[in-house]
Amino acid sequence: MILTLPVIIPFVCAFFLLLVPKSRQIIAWIISLLAVLANLFVCLLIFRQDMSFCLPWAGFGMDFYFRVYQLSGFIILACACFTFLILFYSLAFARGKSYAKHFCAYTLFCLAFINGAVLADNLAMLLFFWEGLLIVLFGLIYIGNKEAFKTATKAFVIIGVSDLCMMAGIGLTVHLAGTWTISRISLPLNGLGILACALLVIGALAKAGCMPFHGWIPDAAKDAPLPSMALLPGALDKLLGIYLLFRICLDMFSLKAHSGLSIVLMAAGSLTIIFAVMMALIQKEYKRLLSYHVISQIGYMVLGIGTASPLGIIGGLFHMFNNAIYKSCLFLTAGSVEKQAGTTELSLLGGIGRNMPVTLACFLVAAFSISGVPPFNGFFSKELIYEAALERGWIFYLAAVLGSFFTAASFLKLGHAAFLGKRNEAYKDRDIKEAPWFMLLPMLALSLSCIFFGLRKDIALANFIYPAQEAAFPGILGMRVNILLTAVTVIVLAGAFLHHIFRVKVTASPLKAADDIHYAPLLSWVYARAEEGRFDLYRAGLWLIDKAAKVFLRVDRRIDWLYNILLPGFFNALSLRIRKAHSGYYVLYIAWSLIGGFLVLIFVLK
Amino acid sequence: MPSLLILLPLSFLIILNLPFRDILQRASFWVVAFFCLFQSIAVALHPFIFWSALPDPYGPFFSFRLSVDNLSLILLFSIGLVSFVSLVISRYTLLDNKQRFNFLNLLLIIVIGMNATVMVTDLFSLYVFLEVTSLSSFILISLKKDKLALEGAFKYIILSITATLAMLSAIALFLLISGDTSFVAIYGALGNPQHVFFSKLAIGLFICGLLVKSGIIPFHGWLPDAYSSSPNSVSVLLAGIVTKVSGVYVLMRMVVSVFGLNQALQDILMFLGCLSIVLGALAALGQTDFKRMLSYSSISQIGYIVLALGCGSSLAIAGAAFHILNHAIFKSLLFANATAVEEKTGNGSIEGLGGLAAKMPFTGITSLAAFLSTAGIPPFSGFWSKFIIVLALWQAGQYTYASIALLASVLTLAYFLILQRNVFFGKVASGLEGVREVRVGLIFPQVLLAVLTLGIGLFAPFFLSNFILAAGNILK
Repeated sequence: MILTLPVIIPFVCAFFLLLVPKSRQIIAWIISLLAVLANLFVCLLIFRQDMSFCLPWAGFGMDFYFRVYQLSGFIILACACFTFLILFYSLAFARGKSYAKHFCAYTLFCLAFINGAVLADNLAMLLFFWEGLLIVLFGLIYIGNKEAFKTATKAFVIIGVSDLCMMAGIGLTVHLAGTWTISRISLPLNGLGILACALLVIGALAKAGCMPFHGWIPDAAKDAPLPSMALLPGALDKLLGIYLLFRICLDMFSLKAHSGLSIVLMAAGSLTIIFAVMMALIQKEYKRLLSYHVISQIGYMVLGIGTASPLGIIGGLFHMFNNAIYKSCLFLTAGSVEKQAGTTELSLLGGIGRNMPVTLACFLVAAFSISGVPPFNGFFSKELIYEAALERGWIFYLAAVLGSFFTAASFLKLGHAAFLGKRNEAYKDRDIKEAPWFMLLPMLALSLSCIFFGLRKDIALANFIYPAQEAAFPGILGMRVNILLTAVTVIVLAGAFLHHIFRVKVTASPLKAADDIHYAPLLSWVYARAEEGRFDLYRAGLWLIDKAAKVFLRVDRRIDWLYNILLPGFFNALSLRIRKAHSGYYVLYIAWSLIGGFLVLIFVLK
Repeated sequence: MPSLLILLPLSFLIILNLPFRDILQRASFWVVAFFCLFQSIAVALHPFIFWSALPDPYGPFFSFRLSVDNLSLILLFSIGLVSFVSLVISRYTLLDNKQRFNFLNLLLIIVIGMNATVMVTDLFSLYVFLEVTSLSSFILISLKKDKLALEGAFKYIILSITATLAMLSAIALFLLISGDTSFVAIYGALGNPQHVFFSKLAIGLFICGLLVKSGIIPFHGWLPDAYSSSPNSVSVLLAGIVTKVSGVYVLMRMVVSVFGLNQALQDILMFLGCLSIVLGALAALGQTDFKRMLSYSSISQIGYIVLALGCGSSLAIAGAAFHILNHAIFKSLLFANATAVEEKTGNGSIEGLGGLAAKMPFTGITSLAAFLSTAGIPPFSGFWSKFIIVLALWQAGQYTYASIALLASVLTLAYFLILQRNVFFGKVASGLEGVREVRVGLIFPQVLLAVLTLGIGLFAPFFLSNFILAAGNILK
């Protein structure tokens, strides 16, 4: 019964919240904080336990079936922590904003649906909560600025389409396996199984934001409220998407190394890393830059799980955890900057590190982490993924290391342009203060855990990752650091640093540090197209639908003409003829009758 | 007991015309109304009170034998119902006392004629009662004595006479062949190979006469004029039942029980039926006069009945009988609507009207019910009869005719939509702001008929299994 609490508590509280009048924002905050704390408490209680809860529901095997085991316990605990921190942060960030109440309510709904989706051990339940999340996502983006409706629609369509794929995948899986219960499904990867698995993976990857399902994230970074970004694409979507990917690939289907699916996953991961980080490199806006890193980091996790080697999977899961920490921390620093400086345009910022030292410190820790600088936590998870990728092929390793280089370069640019250097002339006299403590505390907590899990990675691995992994790969423990790979990483990072210094010297502006890559021959052409949105599947889809609609409209008009003009015209003309024939002259009528009578007689007599 | 249905109106007729008839005039309406209702209700309840199975003490009074089967029962019910409606309408539309009294007498005569036509079992009596019916309808049409009415009656007489001539010669031929005019004797004689040519000629002539009386294209010339130029209560009677009895019913009875269906007859009937369906609907499409449009619609609907008759299976005959009943209901209803509209707007044109549904809610809604029933939209009763007809055609392998019958429903929809849009839908036309709903006396028959068509449609399975499908059993 306790298993249903993580769903019921936030859900009920969220409904209450919607009833609270807008003028009583403080009540909304109290309710939501209490709900999140209660949820955190329940999650702590059930963490590292293995139990299940089953109620009959819709019949046909679609039962209300919850199960918690090591991995799902860890995921919902992590979700509970992140939600708590981000809600705490938004206490100060969103105070007085019109969307505050709705943000709280949607956050709680989101938490309820995520907990449900993670705990569900029945595919029908999973789908139910998964689709619920789609609606909440729409809401969380929609409450942003004026453009947000368009972006929310975009997110809704992209995720909705991929959810349809997942629905089909679930149908196929249930058909193949003969059961809805996830923990009882174990299918080989052949024939229809590949299709089912691929469809499910599309759903999971789209939720995580992997290319090519990423299009809504950069737009949402601009339009959605910042806590929404920190919450969903920053932390929870990753946890959920990668968790499901793990369940699909390793629990329900047995992903083998060197299999087609493994290579497809690794390729998708590598391409996501490279393309997204290249896009991040040229961004000139704080949040948009971060949003591309959100996508890029997903690539590492998909690459890790795609290797199908124990090392890679552990790396992928660990990276998922680390990424959620530093990425939400980065978004929160962006929020601080936005709140205090009033803008996140890098060209207008500069030198605010002096005014906001704590924010700067948190930013630095998170940035080192994401770039994979030892001994921060990001370094270790990336190192695991490197090693597994190298095992599968140097090309994947190359992609991962290149990604690392560009990540470092883009964060050097971001940090330098935003926090160091000189202030933009126009904004020189603006008085910028440090963010309030309500916002600093969550940031501090997150950045400290970056350091903590970097220094004591064994705690994270031993408590969270290994127990979860034991089911899939029993007996794996112990962790070595590959000296050679570490050396390569350090060299690459140093290269990025030197490149940055050099470029800043040449261009005299940190913002233009990456321009040599931006305007390199061929690349500049690609970048220009990318910035126009030419590679956006959503746009292509809209274009295609628009054209198809025009064609269909033409066809429809023709058919309409047939029905509205041709046929009625024909029948009206016919009708007119017949009416004209009825002249009212009775001799004519008698003639008709007689002729008709003769014909009938002849026919009868023949 | 069936003889009561002839003797009762006959005696009423005599009593009404006794010397002190001024006193009786007031009661006359109620007497006739009582009889019509009695006929409908007694027929509808026949399975429960078995009146038709009782010994007939007055039978020997006649020189001819009466018999009642399931098909006759459906017709007798319709006769009672439509006569009643026509009677109610006449009370409010024929304002001249003398005219109304004449109408009552003629109504009684025409009811006698129709009841007898439906029940007789020999050809000559059939002819006599057909003529009784026709003659009283001539006079009924010209009741108002204006130019149009006289012209309509004249056309009817002229064309009827050609029909009568053909039928009389046919009867002479039958008498020649068989030596008797009873149905059984003729049926037996037709099988005699000696008289093939004459029997075929007689059948052909007789059917030609009946086609004229039914108003099938191309024998229909009299029908639109007669329907649209007669007084409203007479239009209801003519369109609702008279032509059905004197034309279609006799055709069914003759073809099924006496002549026997053969391939040539089937082909002719189905072809002419289909022609009537399509051309009648097309002609109705552009009409600007309410009653004239309904007349052409009648031609189209009669086409359905004849088409089903031509198909000849037991199910098709049942469908035809059902369609006669439904047609009696919805066509009377439509003519009642036309009466209501004419009462309030002053003329029968459908142009320049509009929005009357808001002003005359009962008329609007009941006309909608009638129109949906005619077009064959469920759950109205018209849907079931058309459905059975199309189903029977399909089962008999007549796919072309079945498709045409189905598609022609679209034409029906088209002209009735035009009618509805012009008269009832939309904004109230200028000059009609003061229009009110008609008086209760005119609302009553409309509502009665609308409830019947909806009720029969809703409980179609009950009616089908208890009354209608049995009508197909007349097929030998």
